[in-house]
Amino acid sequence: MPDLLLTIIIQFVVAGLATFGFAIIFNAPRSESMLCGITGAIGWLVYYLLIHYADFNLVASALIATGILTIFARILAVRRQNPVTLYLMTGIFPLVPGAGIYYTAYYLITDDRSAFASKGTETLEIAIAIVFGIIFGTAIPQVLFHKLVRTKKGASHS
Amino acid sequence: MNTNKGTPITTKDVLTFSVELGLSMLKSGAEIFRIEESIIRILQAYDIQRFDVYVLSNGIFASANEDLDDACSLVRHMPENSVNLGRIAQLNQLCREICDHRIDLQTGWTRLKEIRVQRGYPRWALILACGLGSGCFCYLFGGSAFDGLVACLIGAVEEFLLLIMSDARLSRSIAQIFSSMFVTAVSYLPVSIWSLPLHRDKMIIGAIMVLVPGIMFTTAIRDVYNGDYLSGAIHLLDALLTALCIAAGVVIAIFFMQKFGLEVSL
Repeated sequence: MPDLLLTIIIQFVVAGLATFGFAIIFNAPRSESMLCGITGAIGWLVYYLLIHYADFNLVASALIATGILTIFARILAVRRQNPVTLYLMTGIFPLVPGAGIYYTAYYLITDDRSAFASKGTETLEIAIAIVFGIIFGTAIPQVLFHKLVRTKKGASHS
Repeated sequence: MNTNKGTPITTKDVLTFSVELGLSMLKSGAEIFRIEESIIRILQAYDIQRFDVYVLSNGIFASANEDLDDACSLVRHMPENSVNLGRIAQLNQLCREICDHRIDLQTGWTRLKEIRVQRGYPRWALILACGLGSGCFCYLFGGSAFDGLVACLIGAVEEFLLLIMSDARLSRSIAQIFSSMFVTAVSYLPVSIWSLPLHRDKMIIGAIMVLVPGIMFTTAIRDVYNGDYLSGAIHLLDALLTALCIAAGVVIAIFFMQKFGLEVSL
């Protein structure tokens, strides 16, 4: 069990740092870049644990992880009175299928047709899973967030 | 702009300000829905009842009080945009303050101009951030710590190249193809020539993450979800094109390495 705990901590911190770095590249405000990192780390951790410890496939894990991180991003948006896109766009980074794009291109040029087809389809499937993850996360009515989350002050339109 | 304390605020003033604010948001990569809502909220805050606002991924069309004496309309075209999340947050805040009448239009203009010329993080910070991101992603996708370190270096040089290419006003697609070619080539060479114990696929994946169109893709999804199908489709096409450019860069680099007789197995 301590092994699992260590893995969780390492994955969480590294994913957080990665997202933090990319949040800076896209000019996220200094005060929010840390929270962007945490959003990304939560999404990645859910994804990682589902794949390695719950035996979910890539697509289902990406779907669930995206849904959870969208909800987290919306909570942050209401709490911090910022656009939800700020947290969502950066938090999604660890889940986008960059690896899929590379392997698909690699198998294309090395002429491995079956691997090319399977990687290409997998990349597309993960992208679609992210679409539905965001849609499910966004479908929860905004009113609920305003009731549950205490804002800093006044009404907001996040 | 010409709203001195004495002269009353005209419909034209409000419409111009709201559309210019929306244009800045569009330029920073905000979703269509947020831009339309911001413009409409400002117009409503100044008691303009009859208006139409239509925002596309690269333009804004707006008119107010069509059937009254002070009818006015505006069209703005915005050919290129670059994502700037901090600016979106600031413009959102500015819009909120204008709508609550915490600041008047004149102060609003000053703030809007300030936000527009505001400089982002210094270049060294961007280069460091890209190195950090690339190294960490390389580790997350299964690379060793050593792979991560090398990916960190590659990522930093890559961001440096990207900045230079954006200075030279190179088209974005070309810049993406070049960077992904560069990343693939420098990740392959140390392994192929000196046979260092590195996982080049993991390093490449880490370093191309910064090119992957995650933000454009998310914008596209949110546009379609909000019913802005046309802008969503344009953003999706943009994301797809970027993905193809990355793949093209990888393919070109590996093709040449094969031609020069380097070993290119995974």
